[in-house]
Amino acid sequence: MQNEYIYLILADDDKDDRLFFTDAFSELKINTKVNTFNDGVELMNYLNKEDSLMPNVLFLDLNMPKKTGIECLIEIKANTKMSGIAIVIYSTSASEEDIEKTFVLGANIYIKKPDSFKKLKKVLSEVVSINWQYHTNSLNKDNFLLRL
Amino acid sequence: MDSKNVFKSVLFLRIVLLMGLFIILVIGGFTYKHISDLTKSTKIVISTYEVNVELEHINSYLSNAESGHRKYILTKDTSYLEPYFDARKNINSSFLQLKKLTIVNAKQQENLAVLNNLIDKLFTNFSKTDALVKNDEISTESFKTQLFEEKIILDSIRKQVSEIIDLENKLLNERQKEYQSDLKFTPLFFYLVLLVTLLIIIIAFSKINTDLLKIKAKNDQLLIFKESTNQSEIIGKHGNWVWHIDSNIFTYSDNFFRLLGEEPQSFEANFDNFLKFVHPEDVDRLAKELDKMIKNEELPFVSYRIVQKNGTTKYLKAYAKAFYSADGQKRLLGITSDITDEIESFLVLEQRNLELEHNNEELSEFTYVASHDLQEPLRKIQTFISRLEEKESKNISSTGLQYLERINVAVTRMRLLIDDLLQFSRTNKPDKEFVVTDLNDLLEFATQDLAEIISEKKAIITSAILPKVSVIPFQIQQMFLNLLSNSLKYSKNDTAPIINIEYTKIKAKEDIHLNNAVKSSYHKITFLDNGIGFEQKYVDQIFELFSRLHDKEEYSGTGVGLSICKKIVDNHQGFIFAESELHVGAIFTIYLPE
Repeated sequence: MQNEYIYLILADDDKDDRLFFTDAFSELKINTKVNTFNDGVELMNYLNKEDSLMPNVLFLDLNMPKKTGIECLIEIKANTKMSGIAIVIYSTSASEEDIEKTFVLGANIYIKKPDSFKKLKKVLSEVVSINWQYHTNSLNKDNFLLRL
Repeated sequence: MDSKNVFKSVLFLRIVLLMGLFIILVIGGFTYKHISDLTKSTKIVISTYEVNVELEHINSYLSNAESGHRKYILTKDTSYLEPYFDARKNINSSFLQLKKLTIVNAKQQENLAVLNNLIDKLFTNFSKTDALVKNDEISTESFKTQLFEEKIILDSIRKQVSEIIDLENKLLNERQKEYQSDLKFTPLFFYLVLLVTLLIIIIAFSKINTDLLKIKAKNDQLLIFKESTNQSEIIGKHGNWVWHIDSNIFTYSDNFFRLLGEEPQSFEANFDNFLKFVHPEDVDRLAKELDKMIKNEELPFVSYRIVQKNGTTKYLKAYAKAFYSADGQKRLLGITSDITDEIESFLVLEQRNLELEHNNEELSEFTYVASHDLQEPLRKIQTFISRLEEKESKNISSTGLQYLERINVAVTRMRLLIDDLLQFSRTNKPDKEFVVTDLNDLLEFATQDLAEIISEKKAIITSAILPKVSVIPFQIQQMFLNLLSNSLKYSKNDTAPIINIEYTKIKAKEDIHLNNAVKSSYHKITFLDNGIGFEQKYVDQIFELFSRLHDKEEYSGTGVGLSICKKIVDNHQGFIFAESELHVGAIFTIYLPE
């Protein structure tokens, strides 16, 4: 089943960003299934449920109410069931501090939310078409932040 | 040097005293000798006189005897013989006297013996004459002979007597002469000795006088020193104390009392009285430290609090060192300073630091808000515009699309401003680490970041080989980036930008820009371009925040880039200067300390 489509999850408290995200994938000609959560607590509740389907790629906003992206990242990496999920940090800011911290905590890629829909589609299509096996092996701090 | 002089002076005075004593002894000896000589001479004169008197006596006794004898011869009255017999007795006693007087003189003794013989002879003669008289043989020849003999003997006696007197007078004269020659030298000698003594006394006096003056001058200096110490103690808020450990006696300087809030010397200086002022919580600790002081003979600073009688708490700091007096008495010499002001200003400083830290936290919170929350709506506006342009362009008029384009430009500019402002505030962070970095690498990274615009404008960037310097790497890279992008941004439309980077190492005193430099040598890096430049009169404005010299429609700067450069060189204790000629180019010169 997983071979037929890529299962994606986005956790972001911003309604507009969730809209852009789903719109972008609906316009992209990639077979994906997108699920969104409004904050970290919702996300973790879902992931912790016994029968939940684990996503192929998880997009994490950092600045969320109740539970931040960083907290989610720590929990996910501590859980063997979830630790295999490819994690994309999807944030408005790209401060050195955030990049450094999420890299150390084991995120796979860092995307700064682009300022046009065209760029958004481009960056998302690039992310989902990454060969994760290869990317994870050659991951370093310089290619952690995805530049377009 | 001084103590040597004092020692010399003491030695000198001792020598003078010994010489004086010696001279007085010599004078005493001489005086004694001369007086005893004088007494002797007087005795001799007296004895000569006595000898003469006795001889005169003998003469007169003989005359009496002779006249008595004559009267007897004429009268045959034996009563006239009485003076004659008395004379004999008296002459004998006179002779004894004479013998005593002339006992030291052999010649006189001899003379006396001759005289004695003559007298004996005379009296024998008298006896014979008497016998003739008794027998009435006066007119006989033998009587005449007898009388004649008598006359001769008497003459010899007189002669002998005068001889003795002459000899005695001669002796007297000789002695007088001798004595007078002695007497002649004595006053001269005394006078000379007196002069020498006087000279020595004057020298000693002048020496003592100069020493006294020196001591007085030293005393004056000591007084001044003491007063200046007093003043410095008052101004420097410290006092000193001495603890005579063996006798457990304390002395406190005036200002030590003032430190305790008391009038100088207003209570007895001892340990118990001092402890009354020490803050109760500090008493035990201080007592322990003082014990250590006595044992270790030297101790680093001890801080403690005191409470003055009016309730004021003061912070004191003490330092003590043991020293031994000349007689081996152990003493602790201590200095105590009032550090209340320092402690208070330290506390204020700490408070300020806390406030500053708090402010910094607020600032970084603001930075986060600015970077994240302010950017987010703008980004969404942009994204929505892009969606409108993409999806709804058919439904919007061309004017509407133009408005959308204007909105997009405005929003982009707003984001740029926020980004630059953020960057500016980040360069404010003080906790950046200095790392020795190859500036060539930093320049290379900056050039890479600008690769797109460089190729677009066909810019040529040449650089001298830059040094390795201890810097905050990302800041210097930022500065290079800002300077390069500045040159690229303000290039002439019709000319490809040429940026030349030069480097020299210079001494601060060799460059007029570095008059106020702290370090002695600097790395001088110069960015020269062939852009539009600016008028030199605006040179002071270009480093100000948000200051722009060009139309923002034409040139997209925010007026932050060069402010960031200024901030960065400030962070590195460096300098940045600009000079330019309009339409010719601009030169930015950076000085980084070596």
